[in-house]
Amino acid sequence: MRCRERVGPVIRVEDVHLRFKAPVLKGVSLHIPEGCIYVLIGPGAAGKSVLLKCIAGLLRPQRGRIWVAGEEITALDDLQMMQLRKKIGMLFQNYALFDLSVGENIAFPLRRLFDLPQNEIEERVAERLERVALPGIQNRIPASLSGGQKKRVGVARATIAKAPVVLYDEPTAGLDPVTSQKIYNLIRDEQRAQKSTVVVISSDVAGALTIADRVGMLHRGELIFDGTVDEARTSKHPAVDQFVHGKTEGPL
Amino acid sequence: MSTALALPAKIGASLLQIAEQAGGIAIMAGQILRRLLPPKIDRIEFFRNMYRMGVQSTAIVAATAFFTGCIMVIQAAPIVQNFNANHYVGWSAMFTTFREIGPLLIALMFNGRVGANNTAELGTMVVTEQIDALRALAIDPVTYLVVPRVLSMIITMTALVILGDALAILGAIVMANVMLDMHPVGFVNHALEMLVLWDFLVGVIKAFFYGSMISLSSCYFGLATRGGAPGVGRAVNASVVASASGVFIADYISSFVLG
Repeated sequence: MRCRERVGPVIRVEDVHLRFKAPVLKGVSLHIPEGCIYVLIGPGAAGKSVLLKCIAGLLRPQRGRIWVAGEEITALDDLQMMQLRKKIGMLFQNYALFDLSVGENIAFPLRRLFDLPQNEIEERVAERLERVALPGIQNRIPASLSGGQKKRVGVARATIAKAPVVLYDEPTAGLDPVTSQKIYNLIRDEQRAQKSTVVVISSDVAGALTIADRVGMLHRGELIFDGTVDEARTSKHPAVDQFVHGKTEGPL
Repeated sequence: MSTALALPAKIGASLLQIAEQAGGIAIMAGQILRRLLPPKIDRIEFFRNMYRMGVQSTAIVAATAFFTGCIMVIQAAPIVQNFNANHYVGWSAMFTTFREIGPLLIALMFNGRVGANNTAELGTMVVTEQIDALRALAIDPVTYLVVPRVLSMIITMTALVILGDALAILGAIVMANVMLDMHPVGFVNHALEMLVLWDFLVGVIKAFFYGSMISLSSCYFGLATRGGAPGVGRAVNASVVASASGVFIADYISSFVLG
Protein backbone atom coordinates (compact mmCIF):
# COMPACT_ATOMS: atom_id res chain seq x y z
CA MET A 1 0.00 0.00 0.00
CA ARG A 2 1.33 3.43 -0.94
CA CYS A 3 -1.14 5.52 1.09
CA ARG A 4 0.49 7.68 3.73
CA GLU A 5 -2.23 7.24 6.30
CA ARG A 6 -0.11 8.57 9.15
CA VAL A 7 0.19 11.97 7.41
CA GLY A 8 -3.57 12.50 7.68
CA PRO A 9 -6.26 12.67 5.06
CA VAL A 10 -5.90 14.94 2.04
CA ILE A 11 -9.63 14.61 1.44
CA ARG A 12 -11.99 14.53 4.38
CA VAL A 13 -15.75 14.33 4.03
CA GLU A 14 -17.84 14.67 7.19
CA ASP A 15 -21.55 13.88 7.37
CA VAL A 16 -22.37 15.26 3.92
CA HIS A 17 -26.01 15.51 2.95
CA LEU A 18 -27.28 16.66 -0.42
CA ARG A 19 -30.68 16.43 -2.02
CA PHE A 20 -32.08 17.57 -5.33
CA LYS A 21 -35.69 16.45 -5.65
CA ALA A 22 -34.88 13.38 -3.55
CA PRO A 23 -31.96 12.79 -1.16
CA VAL A 24 -28.78 11.91 -3.09
CA LEU A 25 -26.16 11.85 -0.32
CA LYS A 26 -27.24 10.83 3.17
CA GLY A 27 -24.60 11.53 5.78
CA VAL A 28 -21.50 10.42 3.87
CA SER A 29 -18.22 10.51 5.83
CA LEU A 30 -14.95 9.56 4.20
CA HIS A 31 -11.19 10.01 4.80
CA ILE A 32 -8.76 9.64 1.91
CA PRO A 33 -5.07 9.52 2.89
CA GLU A 34 -2.33 11.31 0.97
CA GLY A 35 -0.86 9.49 -2.02
CA CYS A 36 -3.74 7.06 -2.16
CA ILE A 37 -5.76 5.74 -5.08
CA TYR A 38 -9.25 5.60 -3.63
CA VAL A 39 -11.80 3.81 -5.80
CA LEU A 40 -15.41 4.60 -5.14
CA ILE A 41 -17.72 1.95 -6.51
CA GLY A 42 -21.45 1.51 -6.48
CA PRO A 43 -24.44 0.89 -8.71
CA GLY A 44 -25.93 3.60 -10.93
CA ALA A 45 -27.61 6.55 -9.19
CA ALA A 46 -25.84 5.75 -5.91
CA GLY A 47 -24.52 9.33 -5.68
CA LYS A 48 -20.90 8.66 -6.74
CA SER A 49 -20.57 11.46 -9.31
CA VAL A 50 -22.43 13.86 -7.02
CA LEU A 51 -19.98 13.12 -4.20
CA LEU A 52 -17.05 13.64 -6.57
CA LYS A 53 -18.49 16.99 -7.68
CA CYS A 54 -18.87 17.97 -4.01
CA ILE A 55 -15.17 17.14 -3.45
CA ALA A 56 -14.29 19.23 -6.52
CA GLY A 57 -16.38 22.09 -5.16
CA LEU A 58 -18.72 22.01 -8.14
CA LEU A 59 -21.70 21.21 -5.89
CA ARG A 60 -22.26 22.48 -2.37
CA PRO A 61 -23.73 20.04 0.14
CA GLN A 62 -26.69 21.27 2.15
CA ARG A 63 -25.20 19.79 5.31
CA GLY A 64 -21.77 18.53 6.32
CA ARG A 65 -18.19 19.65 5.71
CA ILE A 66 -15.49 18.77 3.20
CA TRP A 67 -11.74 19.41 3.42
CA VAL A 68 -9.44 19.15 0.41
CA ALA A 69 -5.67 19.72 0.67
CA GLY A 70 -6.02 21.32 4.07
CA GLU A 71 -8.81 23.75 3.16
CA GLU A 72 -12.40 23.42 4.22
CA ILE A 73 -14.01 23.89 0.82
CA THR A 74 -17.53 24.06 2.23
CA ALA A 75 -16.51 27.29 3.99
CA LEU A 76 -14.87 28.96 0.97
CA ASP A 77 -16.48 31.66 -1.17
CA ASP A 78 -16.43 31.42 -4.97
CA LEU A 79 -13.16 33.33 -5.36
CA GLN A 80 -11.34 31.27 -2.72
CA MET A 81 -12.76 28.12 -4.30
CA MET A 82 -11.33 29.17 -7.69
CA GLN A 83 -7.88 29.38 -6.09
CA LEU A 84 -8.23 25.96 -4.47
CA ARG A 85 -9.30 24.35 -7.74
CA LYS A 86 -5.77 24.91 -9.03
CA LYS A 87 -4.86 22.04 -6.68
CA ILE A 88 -7.46 19.71 -8.22
CA GLY A 89 -7.34 17.98 -11.59
CA MET A 90 -10.46 16.31 -12.90
CA LEU A 91 -11.45 13.91 -15.67
CA PHE A 92 -15.14 13.96 -16.56
CA GLN A 93 -17.30 11.03 -17.53
CA ASN A 94 -18.24 12.63 -20.88
CA TYR A 95 -14.64 13.74 -21.56
CA ALA A 96 -15.71 17.43 -21.39
CA LEU A 97 -13.14 18.31 -24.05
CA PHE A 98 -13.57 21.82 -25.45
CA ASP A 99 -14.14 22.73 -29.09
CA LEU A 100 -10.41 23.32 -29.52
CA SER A 101 -7.53 21.26 -30.85
CA VAL A 102 -6.16 18.45 -28.69
CA GLY A 103 -3.06 20.53 -27.94
CA GLU A 104 -5.10 23.55 -26.89
CA ASN A 105 -7.35 21.37 -24.73
CA ILE A 106 -4.38 20.00 -22.82
CA ALA A 107 -2.68 23.40 -22.62
CA PHE A 108 -5.89 25.06 -21.43
CA PRO A 109 -5.19 24.90 -17.66
CA LEU A 110 -1.61 26.10 -18.16
CA ARG A 111 -2.61 29.03 -20.37
CA ARG A 112 -5.41 30.16 -18.08
CA LEU A 113 -3.93 29.53 -14.66
CA PHE A 114 -0.18 29.90 -14.96
CA ASP A 115 2.01 32.52 -16.55
CA LEU A 116 4.24 30.22 -18.59
CA PRO A 117 6.16 30.93 -21.80
CA GLN A 118 4.76 29.45 -25.01
CA ASN A 119 7.66 27.04 -25.57
CA GLU A 120 7.32 25.58 -22.07
CA ILE A 121 3.59 25.05 -22.61
CA GLU A 122 4.29 23.29 -25.91
CA GLU A 123 6.94 21.10 -24.30
CA ARG A 124 4.65 20.08 -21.47
CA VAL A 125 1.77 19.31 -23.85
CA ALA A 126 4.07 17.13 -25.96
CA GLU A 127 5.35 15.38 -22.81
CA ARG A 128 1.76 14.71 -21.62
CA LEU A 129 0.78 13.29 -25.00
CA GLU A 130 3.82 11.01 -24.90
CA ARG A 131 2.78 9.86 -21.41
CA VAL A 132 -0.74 8.95 -22.56
CA ALA A 133 0.66 7.18 -25.65
CA LEU A 134 -0.78 9.66 -28.15
CA PRO A 135 2.32 11.49 -29.38
CA GLY A 136 2.03 14.15 -32.06
CA ILE A 137 -1.74 14.57 -32.17
CA GLN A 138 -1.72 18.19 -30.93
CA ASN A 139 -3.46 19.52 -34.04
CA ARG A 140 -6.29 17.00 -34.22
CA ILE A 141 -9.74 17.92 -32.99
CA PRO A 142 -11.47 15.86 -30.26
CA ALA A 143 -14.34 14.91 -32.60
CA SER A 144 -11.90 12.92 -34.73
CA LEU A 145 -10.73 10.76 -31.80
CA SER A 146 -12.07 7.45 -30.50
CA GLY A 147 -13.59 7.16 -27.00
CA GLY A 148 -10.38 5.72 -25.57
CA GLN A 149 -8.27 8.45 -27.15
CA LYS A 150 -10.58 11.14 -25.78
CA LYS A 151 -10.22 9.64 -22.29
CA ARG A 152 -6.44 9.71 -22.69
CA VAL A 153 -6.55 13.35 -23.75
CA GLY A 154 -8.77 13.99 -20.73
CA VAL A 155 -6.21 12.31 -18.47
CA ALA A 156 -3.46 14.44 -20.03
CA ARG A 157 -5.47 17.62 -19.35
CA ALA A 158 -6.35 16.55 -15.81
CA THR A 159 -2.71 15.91 -14.93
CA ILE A 160 -0.82 18.64 -16.82
CA ALA A 161 -0.97 21.13 -13.97
CA LYS A 162 0.51 18.50 -11.60
CA ALA A 163 -2.31 19.02 -9.12
CA PRO A 164 -1.89 17.18 -5.79
CA VAL A 165 -5.47 15.85 -6.01
CA VAL A 166 -6.85 14.25 -9.19
CA LEU A 167 -10.46 13.10 -9.56
CA TYR A 168 -11.59 10.66 -12.26
CA ASP A 169 -15.30 10.23 -12.94
CA GLU A 170 -15.99 6.90 -14.68
CA PRO A 171 -12.72 6.93 -16.65
CA THR A 172 -13.57 3.72 -18.51
CA ALA A 173 -17.30 4.15 -19.16
CA GLY A 174 -18.15 2.90 -22.63
CA LEU A 175 -14.68 1.49 -23.35
CA ASP A 176 -13.72 -2.08 -24.27
CA PRO A 177 -11.95 -4.17 -21.54
CA VAL A 178 -8.48 -3.85 -23.06
CA THR A 179 -8.69 -0.07 -23.45
CA SER A 180 -10.22 0.14 -19.97
CA GLN A 181 -7.28 -1.67 -18.39
CA LYS A 182 -4.86 0.58 -20.30
CA ILE A 183 -6.63 3.63 -18.89
CA TYR A 184 -6.46 2.20 -15.35
CA ASN A 185 -2.75 1.47 -15.78
CA LEU A 186 -2.27 5.00 -17.05
CA ILE A 187 -4.05 6.43 -13.99
CA ARG A 188 -1.87 4.32 -11.69
CA ASP A 189 1.35 5.29 -13.50
CA GLU A 190 0.42 8.97 -13.38
CA GLN A 191 -0.38 8.75 -9.69
CA ARG A 192 2.96 7.10 -8.97
CA ALA A 193 4.87 9.60 -11.09
CA GLN A 194 3.20 12.68 -9.57
CA LYS A 195 2.60 11.23 -6.07
CA SER A 196 -0.88 12.69 -6.17
CA THR A 197 -3.96 11.63 -4.26
CA VAL A 198 -6.47 10.10 -6.65
CA VAL A 199 -10.17 9.37 -6.41
CA VAL A 200 -11.60 7.13 -9.12
CA ILE A 201 -15.31 6.57 -9.52
CA SER A 202 -16.21 3.44 -11.37
CA SER A 203 -18.93 0.90 -11.95
CA ASP A 204 -16.31 -1.42 -13.48
CA VAL A 205 -15.28 -3.15 -10.26
CA ALA A 206 -12.90 -5.75 -11.71
CA GLY A 207 -10.80 -3.17 -13.54
CA ALA A 208 -10.89 -0.47 -10.89
CA LEU A 209 -9.80 -2.78 -8.08
CA THR A 210 -6.59 -3.60 -9.96
CA ILE A 211 -5.25 -0.13 -9.15
CA ALA A 212 -7.04 0.66 -5.87
CA ASP A 213 -5.30 1.21 -2.54
CA ARG A 214 -8.58 1.70 -0.75
CA VAL A 215 -12.17 1.12 -1.80
CA GLY A 216 -15.46 2.72 -0.82
CA MET A 217 -18.92 1.67 -1.86
CA LEU A 218 -21.87 4.00 -2.09
CA HIS A 219 -25.39 2.64 -2.16
CA ARG A 220 -28.50 4.82 -2.18
CA GLY A 221 -26.50 7.82 -1.00
CA GLU A 222 -24.82 6.06 1.93
CA LEU A 223 -21.25 4.84 2.25
CA ILE A 224 -21.81 1.21 3.10
CA PHE A 225 -18.19 0.11 2.86
CA ASP A 226 -14.76 1.68 3.32
CA GLY A 227 -11.64 -0.47 3.43
CA THR A 228 -8.84 -2.16 1.52
CA VAL A 229 -9.24 -4.14 -1.71
CA ASP A 230 -8.89 -7.44 0.16
CA GLU A 231 -11.51 -6.37 2.68
CA ALA A 232 -13.85 -5.45 -0.17
CA ARG A 233 -13.36 -8.83 -1.82
CA THR A 234 -14.09 -10.70 1.42
CA SER A 235 -16.80 -8.39 2.75
CA LYS A 236 -19.84 -10.08 4.24
CA HIS A 237 -22.04 -7.06 3.60
CA PRO A 238 -24.64 -8.48 1.19
CA ALA A 239 -24.65 -5.46 -1.16
CA VAL A 240 -20.84 -5.21 -1.24
CA ASP A 241 -20.47 -8.94 -1.77
CA GLN A 242 -23.02 -8.88 -4.58
CA PHE A 243 -21.56 -5.84 -6.34
CA VAL A 244 -17.88 -6.78 -6.01
CA HIS A 245 -18.48 -10.31 -7.28
CA GLY A 246 -21.10 -9.39 -9.86
CA LYS A 247 -23.74 -11.71 -8.43
CA THR A 248 -27.29 -11.47 -9.74
CA GLU A 249 -28.84 -12.57 -6.44
CA GLY A 250 -28.79 -10.09 -3.60
CA PRO A 251 -30.15 -6.80 -2.32
CA LEU A 252 -29.08 -4.69 -5.32
CA MET B 1 -56.75 17.89 -8.47
CA SER B 2 -60.27 18.76 -9.65
CA THR B 3 -60.85 19.92 -13.23
CA ALA B 4 -61.96 23.33 -11.97
CA LEU B 5 -58.58 23.88 -10.34
CA ALA B 6 -56.48 22.43 -13.17
CA LEU B 7 -56.56 25.55 -15.36
CA PRO B 8 -55.70 28.08 -12.61
CA ALA B 9 -52.95 25.71 -11.43
CA LYS B 10 -51.50 25.57 -14.96
CA ILE B 11 -51.65 29.35 -15.31
CA GLY B 12 -50.02 29.77 -11.91
CA ALA B 13 -47.25 27.31 -12.79
CA SER B 14 -46.60 29.13 -16.08
CA LEU B 15 -46.44 32.50 -14.32
CA LEU B 16 -44.03 31.09 -11.75
CA GLN B 17 -41.87 29.70 -14.53
CA ILE B 18 -41.83 33.05 -16.34
CA ALA B 19 -40.95 34.81 -13.07
CA GLU B 20 -38.13 32.31 -12.45
CA GLN B 21 -36.75 32.82 -15.96
CA ALA B 22 -37.01 36.62 -15.73
CA GLY B 23 -35.28 36.49 -12.34
CA GLY B 24 -32.56 34.22 -13.73
CA ILE B 25 -31.93 36.59 -16.64
CA ALA B 26 -31.79 39.57 -14.25
CA ILE B 27 -29.27 37.75 -12.01
CA MET B 28 -27.16 36.95 -15.06
CA ALA B 29 -27.27 40.62 -16.14
CA GLY B 30 -26.05 41.55 -12.64
CA GLN B 31 -23.20 39.01 -12.81
CA ILE B 32 -22.14 40.42 -16.19
CA LEU B 33 -22.17 44.01 -14.89
CA ARG B 34 -20.08 42.95 -11.89
CA ARG B 35 -17.46 41.57 -14.26
CA LEU B 36 -17.45 44.75 -16.33
CA LEU B 37 -16.57 46.94 -13.33
CA PRO B 38 -13.60 46.96 -13.88
CA PRO B 39 -13.77 45.12 -17.24
CA LYS B 40 -12.70 41.47 -17.11
CA ILE B 41 -13.08 40.28 -20.68
CA ASP B 42 -11.47 37.32 -22.39
CA ARG B 43 -10.21 39.08 -25.51
CA ILE B 44 -9.63 35.96 -27.58
CA GLU B 45 -13.19 34.78 -26.95
CA PHE B 46 -14.55 38.29 -27.56
CA PHE B 47 -12.98 38.67 -31.00
CA ARG B 48 -13.77 35.05 -31.93
CA ASN B 49 -17.43 35.71 -31.15
CA MET B 50 -17.45 39.06 -32.94
CA TYR B 51 -16.32 37.21 -36.05
CA ARG B 52 -18.70 34.26 -35.69
CA MET B 53 -21.72 36.30 -34.73
CA GLY B 54 -21.11 39.44 -36.76
CA VAL B 55 -19.01 38.79 -39.82
CA GLN B 56 -20.58 35.42 -40.53
CA SER B 57 -24.08 36.89 -40.23
CA THR B 58 -23.40 39.69 -42.72
CA ALA B 59 -24.51 37.82 -45.84
CA ILE B 60 -27.88 36.69 -44.49
CA VAL B 61 -28.59 40.10 -42.95
CA ALA B 62 -27.55 41.87 -46.16
CA ALA B 63 -29.87 39.72 -48.27
CA THR B 64 -32.77 40.17 -45.81
CA ALA B 65 -32.30 43.93 -45.65
CA PHE B 66 -31.91 44.43 -49.41
CA PHE B 67 -35.08 42.50 -50.23
CA THR B 68 -36.95 44.24 -47.40
CA GLY B 69 -36.12 47.58 -49.03
CA CYS B 70 -37.36 46.25 -52.37
CA ILE B 71 -40.60 44.97 -50.83
CA MET B 72 -41.28 48.30 -49.14
CA VAL B 73 -41.27 50.01 -52.53
CA ILE B 74 -43.20 47.20 -54.27
CA GLN B 75 -45.98 47.59 -51.68
CA ALA B 76 -45.94 51.39 -51.68
CA ALA B 77 -45.54 52.00 -55.42
CA PRO B 78 -49.19 51.45 -56.53
CA ILE B 79 -50.48 53.67 -53.73
CA VAL B 80 -48.13 56.59 -54.32
CA GLN B 81 -48.82 56.33 -58.06
CA ASN B 82 -52.59 56.58 -57.40
CA PHE B 83 -52.08 59.79 -55.45
CA ASN B 84 -49.42 61.07 -57.83
CA ALA B 85 -47.02 61.30 -54.90
CA ASN B 86 -44.06 59.29 -56.15
CA HIS B 87 -41.58 61.47 -54.28
CA TYR B 88 -42.96 60.22 -50.95
CA VAL B 89 -41.84 56.68 -51.64
CA GLY B 90 -38.24 57.36 -50.56
CA TRP B 91 -39.31 58.92 -47.30
CA SER B 92 -41.82 56.17 -46.49
CA ALA B 93 -39.31 53.42 -47.26
CA MET B 94 -36.50 55.00 -45.24
CA PHE B 95 -38.71 56.10 -42.34
CA THR B 96 -40.22 52.66 -41.80
CA THR B 97 -36.91 50.89 -42.42
CA PHE B 98 -34.95 53.02 -39.97
CA ARG B 99 -37.50 53.07 -37.19
CA GLU B 100 -39.22 49.72 -37.39
CA ILE B 101 -38.71 47.17 -40.14
CA GLY B 102 -34.89 47.22 -40.18
CA PRO B 103 -34.23 46.59 -36.48
CA LEU B 104 -37.19 44.23 -36.08
CA LEU B 105 -36.48 41.94 -39.04
CA ILE B 106 -32.76 41.88 -38.41
CA ALA B 107 -33.39 41.10 -34.72
CA LEU B 108 -35.58 38.16 -35.70
CA MET B 109 -32.96 36.91 -38.18
CA PHE B 110 -30.25 37.42 -35.57
CA ASN B 111 -32.31 35.59 -32.96
CA GLY B 112 -32.82 32.62 -35.29
CA ARG B 113 -29.24 32.41 -36.42
CA VAL B 114 -27.00 33.68 -33.62
CA GLY B 115 -29.27 33.42 -30.55
CA ALA B 116 -30.37 29.85 -31.27
CA ASN B 117 -26.82 28.81 -32.08
CA ASN B 118 -25.54 30.39 -28.87
CA THR B 119 -28.13 28.57 -26.74
CA ALA B 120 -27.37 25.26 -28.46
CA GLU B 121 -23.65 25.73 -27.97
CA LEU B 122 -23.88 26.61 -24.27
CA GLY B 123 -26.52 23.92 -23.70
CA THR B 124 -24.28 21.31 -25.28
CA MET B 125 -21.41 22.49 -23.10
CA VAL B 126 -23.63 22.03 -20.04
CA VAL B 127 -24.80 18.51 -20.88
CA THR B 128 -21.30 17.35 -21.88
CA GLU B 129 -19.94 18.74 -18.58
CA GLN B 130 -17.73 21.32 -20.30
CA ILE B 131 -19.07 24.08 -18.03
CA ASP B 132 -18.21 21.94 -14.98
CA ALA B 133 -14.81 21.31 -16.55
CA LEU B 134 -14.22 25.06 -16.84
CA ARG B 135 -15.12 25.55 -13.20
CA ALA B 136 -12.96 22.59 -12.22
CA LEU B 137 -10.09 24.31 -14.06
CA ALA B 138 -10.70 27.40 -11.88
CA ILE B 139 -12.17 29.37 -14.79
CA ASP B 140 -15.30 31.40 -14.23
CA PRO B 141 -17.79 30.48 -17.02
CA VAL B 142 -19.45 33.91 -16.84
CA THR B 143 -16.17 35.74 -17.43
CA TYR B 144 -14.89 33.30 -20.01
CA LEU B 145 -18.07 32.46 -21.94
CA VAL B 146 -20.98 34.75 -21.13
CA VAL B 147 -19.43 38.23 -21.00
CA PRO B 148 -17.67 37.99 -24.41
CA ARG B 149 -20.80 36.54 -26.02
CA VAL B 150 -23.17 39.16 -24.61
CA LEU B 151 -20.89 42.05 -25.58
CA SER B 152 -20.30 40.59 -29.05
CA MET B 153 -24.01 40.09 -29.66
CA ILE B 154 -24.94 43.61 -28.58
CA ILE B 155 -22.21 45.21 -30.71
CA THR B 156 -22.76 43.04 -33.78
CA MET B 157 -26.56 43.38 -33.61
CA THR B 158 -26.24 47.18 -33.56
CA ALA B 159 -23.68 47.16 -36.37
CA LEU B 160 -25.78 44.78 -38.47
CA VAL B 161 -28.82 47.05 -38.14
CA ILE B 162 -26.78 50.01 -39.41
CA LEU B 163 -25.49 47.91 -42.30
CA GLY B 164 -29.00 46.54 -42.92
CA ASP B 165 -30.45 50.07 -43.03
CA ALA B 166 -27.98 50.99 -45.76
CA LEU B 167 -28.72 47.90 -47.82
CA ALA B 168 -32.48 48.24 -47.39
CA ILE B 169 -32.24 51.76 -48.76
CA LEU B 170 -30.18 50.47 -51.67
CA GLY B 171 -32.89 47.90 -52.39
CA ALA B 172 -35.56 50.58 -52.20
CA ILE B 173 -33.60 52.85 -54.56
CA VAL B 174 -33.19 50.04 -57.10
CA MET B 175 -36.87 49.12 -56.96
CA ALA B 176 -38.05 52.76 -57.10
CA ASN B 177 -35.93 53.19 -60.20
CA VAL B 178 -37.37 50.06 -61.80
CA MET B 179 -41.05 50.57 -60.87
CA LEU B 180 -41.42 54.33 -60.65
CA ASP B 181 -38.58 55.39 -62.90
CA MET B 182 -37.23 57.46 -60.02
CA HIS B 183 -33.66 58.71 -60.15
CA PRO B 184 -31.58 57.61 -57.11
CA VAL B 185 -30.53 61.20 -56.33
CA GLY B 186 -34.15 62.36 -56.39
CA PHE B 187 -35.14 59.42 -54.19
CA VAL B 188 -32.54 60.28 -51.56
CA ASN B 189 -33.07 64.06 -51.73
CA HIS B 190 -36.82 63.80 -51.26
CA ALA B 191 -36.33 61.39 -48.37
CA LEU B 192 -33.72 63.52 -46.65
CA GLU B 193 -35.97 66.61 -46.83
CA MET B 194 -38.41 64.88 -44.50
CA LEU B 195 -36.22 62.63 -42.38
CA VAL B 196 -34.41 63.70 -39.22
CA LEU B 197 -31.37 62.11 -37.57
CA TRP B 198 -33.56 60.88 -34.71
CA ASP B 199 -35.42 58.55 -37.13
CA PHE B 200 -32.13 56.73 -37.71
CA LEU B 201 -31.06 56.82 -34.06
CA VAL B 202 -34.35 55.29 -32.89
CA GLY B 203 -33.52 52.16 -34.88
CA VAL B 204 -29.98 52.04 -33.51
CA ILE B 205 -31.20 52.39 -29.91
CA LYS B 206 -33.76 49.65 -30.54
CA ALA B 207 -31.04 47.42 -31.99
CA PHE B 208 -28.99 47.86 -28.81
CA PHE B 209 -31.89 46.73 -26.64
CA TYR B 210 -32.85 43.87 -28.95
CA GLY B 211 -29.23 42.69 -28.94
CA SER B 212 -29.14 42.84 -25.13
CA MET B 213 -32.37 40.89 -24.89
CA ILE B 214 -31.36 38.16 -27.35
CA SER B 215 -27.90 37.77 -25.85
CA LEU B 216 -29.06 37.55 -22.22
CA SER B 217 -31.93 35.23 -23.04
CA SER B 218 -29.84 32.90 -25.22
CA CYS B 219 -27.05 32.67 -22.62
CA TYR B 220 -29.50 32.12 -19.75
CA PHE B 221 -31.43 29.34 -21.48
CA GLY B 222 -28.17 27.75 -22.67
CA LEU B 223 -26.68 27.61 -19.20
CA ALA B 224 -29.99 26.49 -17.67
CA THR B 225 -30.14 23.44 -19.97
CA ARG B 226 -31.00 20.18 -18.22
CA GLY B 227 -31.74 16.70 -19.48
CA GLY B 228 -29.14 15.72 -22.08
CA ALA B 229 -29.53 16.18 -25.83
CA PRO B 230 -33.35 16.56 -25.76
CA GLY B 231 -32.82 19.27 -23.15
CA VAL B 232 -30.67 21.23 -25.60
CA GLY B 233 -33.53 21.20 -28.12
CA ARG B 234 -35.98 22.40 -25.48
CA ALA B 235 -33.59 25.13 -24.37
CA VAL B 236 -33.14 26.41 -27.95
CA ASN B 237 -36.89 26.44 -28.47
CA ALA B 238 -37.51 28.29 -25.20
CA SER B 239 -34.74 30.78 -25.92
CA VAL B 240 -35.96 31.63 -29.44
CA VAL B 241 -39.56 32.06 -28.27
CA ALA B 242 -38.58 34.13 -25.22
CA SER B 243 -36.22 36.36 -27.23
CA ALA B 244 -38.74 36.93 -30.03
CA SER B 245 -41.49 37.75 -27.51
CA GLY B 246 -39.08 40.04 -25.67
CA VAL B 247 -38.16 41.82 -28.91
CA PHE B 248 -41.82 42.51 -29.75
CA ILE B 249 -42.59 43.71 -26.21
CA ALA B 250 -39.49 45.92 -26.24
CA ASP B 251 -40.53 47.25 -29.66
CA TYR B 252 -44.00 48.09 -28.38
CA ILE B 253 -42.64 49.91 -25.33
CA SER B 254 -39.80 51.67 -27.15
CA SER B 255 -42.14 52.88 -29.90
CA PHE B 256 -44.02 54.81 -27.20
CA VAL B 257 -40.96 55.95 -25.26
CA LEU B 258 -38.80 56.95 -28.22
CA GLY B 259 -41.66 58.54 -30.12
